[in-house]
Amino acid sequence: MKQVKKVFGLLTATALVAAMAGCGSANNNASGSSAGSASAPTPAAGSAAPAKEKLKKISIFQSKVEITDALEALAKKYTAETGNEVEVWGAAGDAYMTQLQAKLTANQGPTVFSVGTGAQADKLKSYLYDLGNEPFTKNIAPHMELKEDGKVVGVPYGVEGFGLVYNKDLVDPKNVTDLASFTKTMEKLKADGKNPLSLSQEAFFLIGHILNTPFALQPDPKAFIDKLNKGEVKMADTKEFQEFGKFMDVIKANSKNPMEVKYDSQMGDFATGKTAMVHQGNWSYSMLKDFGNMDAKIGMMPFPLAGNNKIAVGVASNWVINSKASPDEIKAGEAFLNWLFTSDTGKNAIVNDFKFIPAMTNIEATKLDPLSKAVYDATKSGQTIPWATAYYPSNIVVNDLAPVAQAYFLDKNMTGQQLLEKLDAAWAKAAK
Amino acid sequence: MNKTKDRAWFALFTVPLIFIFTTVVIIPFIIGIYYSFVKWDGIPANPKVFVGFDNYVQIFKDERFLASAWHTVKFTVLALLSVNVLGLVFSLLVTAKLRVSNAARTMFFMPNLIGGLILGYIWQFLFTDAMEFIGSKTGLGHIFFNWLLSPQFALYAMVVVFTWQMAGYTMIIYIAGIQGIPDEMMEAAKVDGANLWQRITKIIFPLLMPAFTICLFMTLSGAFKIYDVNLSLTKGGPNNATEMFAMNIFNEIFGYGHYGLGQAKAIVFFIIVAVLTLTQVAITKKREVQM
Amino acid sequence: MKKTSRLLSEVLLVALALAFLSPIYIMVVNSFKSRAELYENALALPSSISFEYYSKALEKMNFFTAFANSLYVTAISVVIVVILASMTAWMLARTDHKLSKIIFMVFVATMLIPFQTLMMPLMQVMDWIRTNLHIPMLNTREGLIYMNVGFHASMAVFLYHGFIKSIPVALEEAATLDGCSKFGLFWRIVFPMLKTITVTIAILDVMAMWNDYLLPSLTLSDKALRTIPLSTFYFFGEFTIVWNLAMAGLTLTIIPVVIFYVFAQKYIIKGIAAGAVK
Repeated sequence: MKQVKKVFGLLTATALVAAMAGCGSANNNASGSSAGSASAPTPAAGSAAPAKEKLKKISIFQSKVEITDALEALAKKYTAETGNEVEVWGAAGDAYMTQLQAKLTANQGPTVFSVGTGAQADKLKSYLYDLGNEPFTKNIAPHMELKEDGKVVGVPYGVEGFGLVYNKDLVDPKNVTDLASFTKTMEKLKADGKNPLSLSQEAFFLIGHILNTPFALQPDPKAFIDKLNKGEVKMADTKEFQEFGKFMDVIKANSKNPMEVKYDSQMGDFATGKTAMVHQGNWSYSMLKDFGNMDAKIGMMPFPLAGNNKIAVGVASNWVINSKASPDEIKAGEAFLNWLFTSDTGKNAIVNDFKFIPAMTNIEATKLDPLSKAVYDATKSGQTIPWATAYYPSNIVVNDLAPVAQAYFLDKNMTGQQLLEKLDAAWAKAAK
Repeated sequence: MNKTKDRAWFALFTVPLIFIFTTVVIIPFIIGIYYSFVKWDGIPANPKVFVGFDNYVQIFKDERFLASAWHTVKFTVLALLSVNVLGLVFSLLVTAKLRVSNAARTMFFMPNLIGGLILGYIWQFLFTDAMEFIGSKTGLGHIFFNWLLSPQFALYAMVVVFTWQMAGYTMIIYIAGIQGIPDEMMEAAKVDGANLWQRITKIIFPLLMPAFTICLFMTLSGAFKIYDVNLSLTKGGPNNATEMFAMNIFNEIFGYGHYGLGQAKAIVFFIIVAVLTLTQVAITKKREVQM
Repeated sequence: MKKTSRLLSEVLLVALALAFLSPIYIMVVNSFKSRAELYENALALPSSISFEYYSKALEKMNFFTAFANSLYVTAISVVIVVILASMTAWMLARTDHKLSKIIFMVFVATMLIPFQTLMMPLMQVMDWIRTNLHIPMLNTREGLIYMNVGFHASMAVFLYHGFIKSIPVALEEAATLDGCSKFGLFWRIVFPMLKTITVTIAILDVMAMWNDYLLPSLTLSDKALRTIPLSTFYFFGEFTIVWNLAMAGLTLTIIPVVIFYVFAQKYIIKGIAAGAVK
């Protein structure tokens, strides 16, 4: 049995290597060949070309600590199936970007790595290899690819979405559709002794995500942010933001102070029924499941600002190839990504091991948790609003907006309108 | 002849370390000074534009940086006092030849073993859960509440954690100093009828002057450079009230991607601190000589 | 009377020490709890003691490889720091010309530079050495040792310098008259007198290097080279921490250094005793 597997693996490897060698030789496979011309290999099974030496060992560096285990296991499977080696590096959650920058500075950059959509990708533009010729990029769901200067440079990890995660026993989405019904529901829950809606002290969970809604509801969020950067518009003068201020006042008046809540306790309170709603994303399910199975009780609904009835869906991270790596490494990197997004093993890992909601048309989502399912369904039906956060100036949420939001939640007398004015001021400083 | 020989010995003894030190610290620092004159986002492939003293001019318009410098000064002064008082008390206690001295010495040093980031996370539990628990049990809610939520008390929380971490560290150095005091001298003082307080102030303190110099300087440099605890305990909040100098620089460099500006900040601060502390070292060193 | 006051101060000392250890208590109890139990009460004792999180942490961190790496890097770095810094500090302390003073001041002043402002240029320098001199400074344990020595040089020189100043020169002069070379003089006469401060420096440096995350994270990439702090990254997500594994991992990390410390502090005492005899 083992032997069969081995032989099979060897065959697959041979086929793949042969196929790639074929592509390579057509493009002058010398070390000097321009990196851009190497097109991706297609695993032409059964190709009879003679076996050549295996691909160069590549390194992967990526920011999502939670999938490291699964990625390491996948790398082993990749080696077993193709004979090529992959080394997975590691970094603790918020240390990723610093380490990446240091490794690039030392010319020790990884072959394949991850970048966040938006400011981070812009900053690293010169390191992003053009993936336009890769066949697997054709399978990326519409508008989900990472583009720089019109070229496809990154493949999404998957889509993620956020909105109001609610407890079905305590809240009926029909009663949370606009400011008036929202306020009523909040007050009723408070009277029942529940914490109606919980934010938490982490910058994105305090202000970053929830502030996305008024941006996303603008006719053209990107243009609006450009104007905001130039100082041509103000949040405090814009209708959707003004209503956002009122929502925040309702939240502050009825909920536990989010400054006293950590992500851990936010989800703990929600899981134990002390909190009725949290403004969170589908990723929070991984935390909820540690408290026992509550799939039947939870759902995700839109944050009903200005009657909004859509969940915010976007791409947080993308796979990219380091354009400054050696041509051999780039070729091996392409082979790996191609395998990840086209082989059954790779596709299966994305959905079942990484637990991503795939952003590829050739990958079916199965066995999704209830929160991810809500996001997936919304994506399929097009009932989504975008992540305007991607267009924000670099790190503005953590560095500039969070301190303002902290002040707002710690100062009982500060109103939502004042919050907007302070946010405007902080924005003006950061956009400089 | 003898002089060249002396020089050769001098070189043999010092050059290896100085060489390593130069490649690892001095040259990078000089490169850093160069970067303080350019506009650059820190990504190696992206352009560096020489801007002269622009970055330095900007610093003094940056209110948030000035505020962070002020927090750092406040923090350092408080930390300097609490760390050294506590470290000294610990060292006196554990060298007092009590039965539990050995165990206590280990216990006081233990906090130092928990490095960097995780320390702040553990202390968050103490400030959020334990403080409120004590507050509700004792009714002293105005002292025992979550310090991390108050701009003023969050700074004290930083001092507490830093002290907790560093007191054992200075304790070790004070112990080394105290152990260096000849036993005969203490015995003689005892025979002469000096009480404990006299023995401490008249013998131990003066002879501890070198240890003071060292500990003050170590605490000072540690406090000025504090980053890990800042990041994991308060993240500079609430509302930037505890954003220290190192964090401000780190944010400037890696958050905003203003590499040159961040470097310029680091250099300005370095010059100020170096002048201050070297003066301090020079003064305490002089006092040592007088002993 | 005297006995009671002594007992009292002993009780006080123990109480103080225990209060001082409360964060360690938090660390240990939470290494036994599930996320749900930790959420219920972070301060309480665990409802059951099972070492499943420890064995999981051991496995995930690849603990024994990481331990070997940490041990190798820390031990060699500390030994080199001690040898080179003591020699340098002695020379600087015993020569009375401008150059020694300047060198000493430069060592001291650089202790004030935040590491964060050095790290990018440092990477450039190391890359330059690697490409031009073909010495593999990056992604090797030896390269990390080299950098460790550079970064811990200042403090060691500073501490040695202060200590050497307090030793009478007369002893050394006598030995010089006996015809000792400087090298022999240093290792046979001076270094033994530095025992206390050497152990102190060794303790402080071992702690710092053993726990260091940032520098190794920049220089080591390969999984096989990870030190213990590097291998705990699995437990630290961007927004949350796998508390039980992180705490178990941390406990495992500090046990070796606690043992080292308990062992080393005996040498401080011995060193004192030896010093008193002379």
